[in-house]
Amino acid sequence: MNVIDGLRKVFSFWSPTKPSLPFSVLFKKFRSILERNNRILELMADMGDKLGGEYVFDRQYVLDISENIGDLVFKLISDLCVMTQTENVDLFISFERIQNDIQEELAGRRAFPMIRPAVLLDELNGDLNEEVGNKFANIGDIRNTLGLPTMDGFAITTRAFFDFMKANGLLKHIETSLAAVDLKDETAFEAMCDDVRTRILKGTIPRHVVSSINAMLDVVKGRAEVRYPRFAVRSSAWGEDSEFSFAGQYESVLNVPGNGIAEAYRRVIASAYTPEAWRYRLHRGFRESEMAMAVGCQLMVDAEVSGAMYTYAPLPLEKEAMMISAAWGLGPAVVSGLAESDTFVLDRMPPHNILSNESGHKVSKMVMDLNGGTAWREVPGHLQDKPCLSDEYIQRLAQAAIMIERYYRRPQDVEWAFDSKGNLYILQSRPLNVRPNQPDRHRLYIDHASLSAQVLFSGKGTVVQGGVASGKVYVARADDDLNDFPYGAILVARYTSPKYSKIMRKARGILTDIGSATGHMATLAREYRVPTVVDTGVATKVLKTGDEVTLDAIQNVVYEGTVNELSQFEITQEEVFEESYEYRLLKRILKKVNPLNLVDPHSESFKAARCLTFHDITRFVHEKAVERLIDLSENYQNYHDRTPKRLDCDIPLGLVIIDIDKGTSALPEARSMTVEQIESAPMKAMLQGLSESGMWETTPVAVDMGSMMSSFTRTFSSSLAGPEDVGRNLAVISNNYMNLHLRLGYHFTILDAYIGDELNDNYIYFRFLGGVSDLQRRSRRARFIAEVMECYDFRVEVHGDLIVGRLKKMSRDRMVSRMKVLGGLIGYTRQLDISMISDERIGQHVAEFMHRIDVLTEVGDDVPMCRLPATKDADSYTR
Amino acid sequence: MTSQCAGCQQQKTQILILDDEPIVCKRLRPAFQKAGYEVETFTDSASAMARIEEKKFDIIITDLKMKGVDGMHFLERIKEIAPDTGVIVITGFATSETAGESFRKGAFDFVAKPFKLNDIIDTVRRLEGNRKR
Repeated sequence: MNVIDGLRKVFSFWSPTKPSLPFSVLFKKFRSILERNNRILELMADMGDKLGGEYVFDRQYVLDISENIGDLVFKLISDLCVMTQTENVDLFISFERIQNDIQEELAGRRAFPMIRPAVLLDELNGDLNEEVGNKFANIGDIRNTLGLPTMDGFAITTRAFFDFMKANGLLKHIETSLAAVDLKDETAFEAMCDDVRTRILKGTIPRHVVSSINAMLDVVKGRAEVRYPRFAVRSSAWGEDSEFSFAGQYESVLNVPGNGIAEAYRRVIASAYTPEAWRYRLHRGFRESEMAMAVGCQLMVDAEVSGAMYTYAPLPLEKEAMMISAAWGLGPAVVSGLAESDTFVLDRMPPHNILSNESGHKVSKMVMDLNGGTAWREVPGHLQDKPCLSDEYIQRLAQAAIMIERYYRRPQDVEWAFDSKGNLYILQSRPLNVRPNQPDRHRLYIDHASLSAQVLFSGKGTVVQGGVASGKVYVARADDDLNDFPYGAILVARYTSPKYSKIMRKARGILTDIGSATGHMATLAREYRVPTVVDTGVATKVLKTGDEVTLDAIQNVVYEGTVNELSQFEITQEEVFEESYEYRLLKRILKKVNPLNLVDPHSESFKAARCLTFHDITRFVHEKAVERLIDLSENYQNYHDRTPKRLDCDIPLGLVIIDIDKGTSALPEARSMTVEQIESAPMKAMLQGLSESGMWETTPVAVDMGSMMSSFTRTFSSSLAGPEDVGRNLAVISNNYMNLHLRLGYHFTILDAYIGDELNDNYIYFRFLGGVSDLQRRSRRARFIAEVMECYDFRVEVHGDLIVGRLKKMSRDRMVSRMKVLGGLIGYTRQLDISMISDERIGQHVAEFMHRIDVLTEVGDDVPMCRLPATKDADSYTR
Repeated sequence: MTSQCAGCQQQKTQILILDDEPIVCKRLRPAFQKAGYEVETFTDSASAMARIEEKKFDIIITDLKMKGVDGMHFLERIKEIAPDTGVIVITGFATSETAGESFRKGAFDFVAKPFKLNDIIDTVRRLEGNRKR
């Protein structure tokens, strides 16, 4: 911090308020900030699109775009420094921190805080496979991302393993012993194994590891239902449960009391050095430095019935079957084949009918022993030949397993248990290696199948999440509460909507007519990895409820009927896109780029030091730049040669205009001006659209007083925005140009436009943000605006309730008519989010708005891209 | 199903893909297989170079900038051995010069990375259409 203090002193002559550069230079910087800002948003969207799986990209792409975006953000901050004439140290520090994290990721060093020796399962996910091993990283996904039931617990990390081994001099000891031993000498090798295991079992666990374990133990005990919970202590080594299963190589210790965890921990670690496990590693080319053992400690399930499930039965792939093995009591009975079990073979397609079942004669079962450990008990006579799973249990199990398979896009081997209350728990899941018996014939099937299947549509819209899904179509109506959405169906909807988060777990796939790949729904679809294509334009027209289709969201094709070969092909590929290095890298970098944490400029946390991502910085810089521009125009009127003019207007816009070049016919020194004196083409058109359409007066639907009041209280109680800030709006204009910043109530609009005679120079950039009501209403409003703008040829992006619309290179007349539309929109949407109580309102408002704006926008042959609503849609809207 | 397709193995268009980024090969191979092509992929230019001496491919998709033999030389060699092989160049460093040079050397088309799977398949189909004419 000394360096920074020094810098502060050096730059202290820089007063943040006294401009020492001509206004025109500052304004140029402002425009440059806007341009960079747009470019950064575009790059972010571009990176997001690449995660969908439709694109082929390589590491070079990730490197290039990361460099590009970092560069732009740096220049953005520099522009702000010039504009505000401050050094913005905090902003640069935030930038350097983010940039450094990104560089570390790109260099292959994972940028995350040093992991603790023990962490709760709640904190785990698939990205932490090095910290907690694959098994528990997967459990993290299953528990936290997919939300499937797992037992509470914690993981003792690989860091703890290294600390333990080092503290006891074991890493060095193993290295020297291994170098000295003759691997072919079985007796010597076994003696070495024994020696290492003995040392581990006698080893001292470092104090910081013990206290970390105890802290986690306390948390889990505190949440447990029983006073003295028992734990299952299980291995989760590097490489285990990956392409190498290591199945049965390492030890699990069941039914361990809290005070027995240290001992069980040592036993599990020691099991990595049995002759069998060690040989297994050596055979597969694992180096000793690649050996690290995390250990998971989970509450025991007092299992009534447990077992394993394969999402692809060990039958020919064409059979499309899955298989469950189950027995009474604890899992090892089935998994280790210690006792007879039941076998159920099911259809992979919902409703997962039972194709066959074989009941074993189950004489004994494994149970938890009261004194710790496990014991065998006799199964009561009437249960010995009874199938141990009901149809309902089978159904729940099948749905959970298929959900896990869909997530990993690999067949799964799932271990599970039901307790006596009928709760299902997923104990673990590992990829199941399924390879077609005859790869060549299999390939022959695939192209024949995909080439002979009837294509319903292809190449339409944007892939949000890749994958293949077959199922029955369910077309969601506008006001659908989705309570009847059938498990395993493919959702087809007009728009993307956050409300579909409700069916993410049930749906096999999603198709929408309209929508963006960057919205809330898209994020969720990626999280759950539901194959999803948005913006197809045609899905609801082509498909109807009950149609059987296959969605190939990799090639972006929708086929008629079920094309099983496609999903088999997908699931047996050598690498899953989501598991590829490039995908994971891009995803990790996007975490440093994309999420927006600084949402509300009025909140305490809207500070440079709180910027955690490039998006935050971009948002912050933009806000500060606008503030500065308003400040300059109001407080330093003498400083620039243009006298800001207050616009006299029937509509209370509170607008101050700075004319930089022939934008008005008012006298240069005049302090106010009339609408008639405006010469600026874009501004004139915008105001016309606003006043002549009569949109301002519109109160489309009675306002509900609750949200109206909350809008007032929020505005005026906010510490940073006093009432004097409200209605302080600014426009900079010339005869062809307008840059408008408009805050009306809680809506914030930016309009930047150039309209001249040269077609190629013409553009409109429109940005709309904010609102009073809940997210769902705001996003309905966003969809309304998007729909209207798309109708007028704008390229529209919706990010939550932020809407960005762009239009370029159209004739002057067309540009003018579109500015009128935007003027109308600004008026119309003032309170619109409050009235957006249901989805069908969107359509009603679109129709209403189009009707009113029509008169104003008639330009020769200029017919908007779509004349919404088309008759068919109008029916469905007004129904 | 199989009886209909008997013999399609012989009629299939043979594609060789060369890109030193394994991810590109991994993604392209299944996509083309699904679209009905016979595909071989290579991540080092030396082996790809050796392969084209042994076997005639209908279509070759190659990166430009790679370690070892670069794509431009590879393109030249293909055209020497089998002038009627269609070549599609894929690259992340698209400049008008490199594009111009690859067209002069006989490339059918130039596709900038990153690209959509559908786009590259369409390009291959256009190329096939051209060859049949």
